[in-house]
Amino acid sequence: MTAEKIRINTEWLSVCGGCHVAIVDMHEKILDVLGAATIQHSPVLTDIKGYPKADVGIVTGAIRNEHDRHAALEMREACDLVIALGTCAVYGGLPGAGMVHTREEILQTVYVDSPTTRTDTLPSGDVSSLEKLVTPLDEVIDVDLYLPGCPPHAAFIFDGLLSLLEKRPARASSETVCGRCRRSMKKTDEAAIKRSHEGVPDAELCLLSQGYICMGSVTLDRCLSPCPAHGIACTGCAGPTMQILTEPNRDIRTELGERMAALTKIEKGEVVKTIEAGAKTYYAYAMATKMVGGKPTFLIHDWIERPGDN
Amino acid sequence: MGRMLTIDPVTRIEGHARVALDLDDAGGITRADLIVNELRGFERILVGMEAEKMPQITARICGVCPSAHHLAAVKALENALGVDPPPAAKLMRELLYMGHFIHSHTLHLFVLAGPDLVLGLDGDPAKRNIVGVVEAVPEVALKALRLRSLGQKLNELIGGRGVHPVTAIIGGMSFDLDEQKLAAATALVDEALELALELATVAKDLINAQATAHPALLTDLQQPTWYMGTVKGGKVNFYDGRLRVIDDTGMVRAEFDAPEYGTYLAERTVESSYLKPVFMNVDGQEHVYRVNTLARMNVAEGMETPKAQSWFEAFRKGLGWPCHLTVPHNYARIIELIYACEKAKEIVSDPAVLGSARIPVTMKAGHGVGHVEAPRGSLFHEYEIDDNGIVQAANLIVATQQNYSSINTSILQAAQVFVAGRGEDAILNAVEFAIRSYDPCLSCATHAVGRMPLIVEMRRNGETVHLMRRDA
Repeated sequence: MTAEKIRINTEWLSVCGGCHVAIVDMHEKILDVLGAATIQHSPVLTDIKGYPKADVGIVTGAIRNEHDRHAALEMREACDLVIALGTCAVYGGLPGAGMVHTREEILQTVYVDSPTTRTDTLPSGDVSSLEKLVTPLDEVIDVDLYLPGCPPHAAFIFDGLLSLLEKRPARASSETVCGRCRRSMKKTDEAAIKRSHEGVPDAELCLLSQGYICMGSVTLDRCLSPCPAHGIACTGCAGPTMQILTEPNRDIRTELGERMAALTKIEKGEVVKTIEAGAKTYYAYAMATKMVGGKPTFLIHDWIERPGDN
Repeated sequence: MGRMLTIDPVTRIEGHARVALDLDDAGGITRADLIVNELRGFERILVGMEAEKMPQITARICGVCPSAHHLAAVKALENALGVDPPPAAKLMRELLYMGHFIHSHTLHLFVLAGPDLVLGLDGDPAKRNIVGVVEAVPEVALKALRLRSLGQKLNELIGGRGVHPVTAIIGGMSFDLDEQKLAAATALVDEALELALELATVAKDLINAQATAHPALLTDLQQPTWYMGTVKGGKVNFYDGRLRVIDDTGMVRAEFDAPEYGTYLAERTVESSYLKPVFMNVDGQEHVYRVNTLARMNVAEGMETPKAQSWFEAFRKGLGWPCHLTVPHNYARIIELIYACEKAKEIVSDPAVLGSARIPVTMKAGHGVGHVEAPRGSLFHEYEIDDNGIVQAANLIVATQQNYSSINTSILQAAQVFVAGRGEDAILNAVEFAIRSYDPCLSCATHAVGRMPLIVEMRRNGETVHLMRRDA
């Protein structure tokens, strides 16, 4: 342990607030952290004005408006190391799925088509217009450590902070959600893709082997794999693996298609088609990053404008 | 002209909340509007997604009350498909939800409102935060942090995750509870109940001391409004029941099941806000109403569990009925915290919770509404799905929208009562206190422990004459 306490700033941009709750969810360990670190600027714990110089800055949320941009730049300026915490900061997160719609479509749905709304006007006065896109943090500032997850499990946050205190690399690895999943992969005769509400999955067998499109094998583990452990197929909330992000010819749908074809009697093309038709669901968390949304093969507008086609 | 906006499914406060105060020629404050600029457009984002994923996806609307969205979504889908989940599933969901309430109410009482209560409304702003609370009353603060943890751990044990739970699915729960997990849940619940009862008295004394120090809180900060909350057998219920609406005299004006919500709840777009306030449509007129802890105390005849019931009786006796004061929201929050612990204890003691928790379902086209009482008030999810189980339309109404009109009135009252002839800090504190009384998702979102980042703009005839700001 260093003699001097490390100084931490935290900030939230466009978020649901869950990542800061995840920090508090270190439970007892938060007291260890508070013993070794001084929390300075933080929207949850303190009310320190401005952005004091800090060793570590934790930024949650994506960039959505001018305030977010400003706060991100201030954090970068003040902090030696910046952690992008949570899927929104790293990839834009679920609000990033709004990118497939125009602002006009969104306003029409919320203010005009809503069945319980008895007016048909749009807010027109003193409101700032929406930015067109949700922007991941590293398109605005440099990031030193990426910690996606929706939210990341507190164990990863604790280890990330501890690694900085102990000046060692963080344990966060490139393992997928499968790494901690105790289900066994087996070749089966399963011939049809099943949606998660269909049937009751076997508790021991890999969900892919059972015909469920579980995204665990294409998703980074920042969660300790709670979903497959509780009978739920992974929905990819921590974003895709590094391989998928960096290699242009790899993608969630092709990887999953190949894997399911190897484990079942379902054809790869069938899986790809299902994922494309449900692209809003399967790409929900990370489509705002150029590493996914910018791939030349990512044609979500074609896919969702022709749902159920062919 | 400015207007207000809050956190709701489609809008979120980010960065600075803005409050506009309109002045008359004599310098008196005549109107208050909370203004926030953010719209995420969830109702549009959800269209085209697989319906069965809604409970997981919509939890992401709010990291502070994800369990409320998780359960409202699954209930809406079950309503659409005509599915009735097995008794064990309902018990498990309710247990998960009690954990969430323990976490959320404790967080509000001791971390968000705690600085006002422990350090006083006129306390040094530099210390009015959780760190100041820990310094002032370390033992209480540590117990409160422990109680919050116990609630969140219970939520995680049943929900699979703490923030953004995943286990409620159409037809029940994704796993059956076993003896081992039940024992773990029981240990959490037993400790929580004991701590909650101890902290309840501490919190009540703090609220009383606050009221003694600021008598105006009990005389000037009141608003006769209508109220809505969920009751089952006449008692407060967070997970299930009918919506009951009373008017400002206490008369029951409507009682309905969630699917009829569109008959009663009327949203209106206001010119300068992304937020749509909601009004209660009864007898051809639209009425201002409130939801939240105080509303639930006002609409119900009592609490289901014994200790919460005796607190409820004292509340009624001390404050009258219906109670129109704004400050007792925290007092009511204590009663609900005790109820959540007692109810959780009842559930873990019920062998039925160990039953089979899932039935198979068949997807079909349908339309459904689901609701729960979120910690901050009634929450509604509505979905239309097609034959393939794809969401065709989604509609969401959250607590903070329903309290919109009253929050503005409370800000106005607080500003008028506490501010006359005093400095900027007094204005900012009063405005912040009024907003926080409602625990709007706003207070979590803009965050604010101690001080919320705030801009207060004073206007005369629409022109800004003075601007005050307080940064986070």
